[in-house]
Amino acid sequence: MKTSKMLPSIARIAKFTFTDEVRQKSFVIMFIFCVLCVFLLRGCYHGNYMVNGQTLDAATVVKALSKVTFHVIGAGVMVITALFSMRIFRRDRSEGLQSCILSKPIVRWQYVTGKIIGLWVLSALFMFILHGIIFLVSSVNLQIFMPEYLVASLLCSVNLLFVVLAVLLLSLLMPDIVAFLCVLAVGVVGFVADGIAAVSQSQIVQTLIQQPGSGLQSEVTWWKVVYIVWPKLLGVQQSATSLLGNEPILGFATLYPFLNVLLYCLILGALLFWRFRKEDLI
Amino acid sequence: MIELKNVTKQYGSLTAVDDVSFSVKAGESFALLGPNGAGKTTIVKLLLDFARPTAGRLTINGIPTSKPECRTAIGYLAENHRIPAGLSGWNYLLRCAELLDIRQTAAEDQCRRIVEQIGMQGREHTKAGTYSKGMIQRFGLGAALLGEPKLLILDEPTSGLDPIGIRETRQLLESLKGQGMTVFLNSHLLSEVEKICDSAAIINRGRLLVKDTISAIVRDGETLEDVFVRLVKG
Repeated sequence: MKTSKMLPSIARIAKFTFTDEVRQKSFVIMFIFCVLCVFLLRGCYHGNYMVNGQTLDAATVVKALSKVTFHVIGAGVMVITALFSMRIFRRDRSEGLQSCILSKPIVRWQYVTGKIIGLWVLSALFMFILHGIIFLVSSVNLQIFMPEYLVASLLCSVNLLFVVLAVLLLSLLMPDIVAFLCVLAVGVVGFVADGIAAVSQSQIVQTLIQQPGSGLQSEVTWWKVVYIVWPKLLGVQQSATSLLGNEPILGFATLYPFLNVLLYCLILGALLFWRFRKEDLI
Repeated sequence: MIELKNVTKQYGSLTAVDDVSFSVKAGESFALLGPNGAGKTTIVKLLLDFARPTAGRLTINGIPTSKPECRTAIGYLAENHRIPAGLSGWNYLLRCAELLDIRQTAAEDQCRRIVEQIGMQGREHTKAGTYSKGMIQRFGLGAALLGEPKLLILDEPTSGLDPIGIRETRQLLESLKGQGMTVFLNSHLLSEVEKICDSAAIINRGRLLVKDTISAIVRDGETLEDVFVRLVKG
């Protein structure tokens, strides 16, 4: 099959996936709810914070606040993306779209690629709009422009690709809700582990570690290896938000979460294509 | 046009299709008959590459069914055809035309003609959620006719249709047959098959019992139904 014919088919399937999802009432309700929730934060962007009678620099406050909202939106959209993705194959099957598409001269990998792209673009746009609202609020209320906020949002879409691929793959192997919960668990474990790691880097814990007989040594253990190779979803968000605070780019430490998640995306993608190729369509 | 050679399909320990071989010539109107669970729909799925055979070889126009090229000239109507409730019949047809790479204006012309052919004028812009089973079936048949296919694979095309719908579908299939289209029909309605088809195969429990022209299968004084019952029960 010629490449010139393959690409339009993928683009069409991606377009159908996007429009079908947007047409769902549940999507519209979820979107409106999220937009309203983000809009409610506009009260935090008034720039009149005072501590001990001293007015704080609005830019510092906005950046700190925006980092928090960035993480909350990023994590929230990951959960929503998992919800969208978990029912995609089942719905296509029950609505007859899968047999309609695959009875045409379209290869299975084109169908799967179209689905992945459609879902990824939709969820990345969803997150970008929510982050864009924060960007607009800070620009309008405080005249503080943070274009890097939008760049960070685009960088974080790597996490959404991971979620889409993981849920699609698992939904072929297990009930949809179990697939959703499994991916949620991967995310939660990663966030908690990163949180513990951040705490362990704090001065108090470091002091404890250095006390004689504290038992905490820096030798390589299996749980440290698991922690390092575990999907670095929070790490991606943290690396992306390092753009916001003019924090120093720490080289490989900043880059590693992206490489980690991208590697997982490659593995999950390969497994998804392989599994779907073997699937008997009902 | 269609060729099955020693095709077997197993689902775990269940053999859905057991060493089936037959062929259908271009321009022929062929019916695959059998009781429920005989393996008819499995054969259709194998032809469309929705499932892969455990053994054997299937080709359409000499091209293995695993290659997407063999589906360029196939129109397919699934058993219990469904249309997403949020789409209108018209939008569904346009979407199918887009998947077939038909240009917008040509697609609209074809869809208009097909809506007329399937007798759904005036209802094409209503949401599919309001359609009856028969209406969905008609739009499914319409979608199968898009792109002027050379082979039509129809899995229970009259399922859910009222007697008038059944008659109209039969007339439509007869006219398509007149135009030289190959029809592969999977049906329970033996009286309709007898009127439309040139040849038929009867399968039971995955095994091919007979494959011949209708006139050769049906003896004097018998109907296709009599032969079917005799072969399946005997």
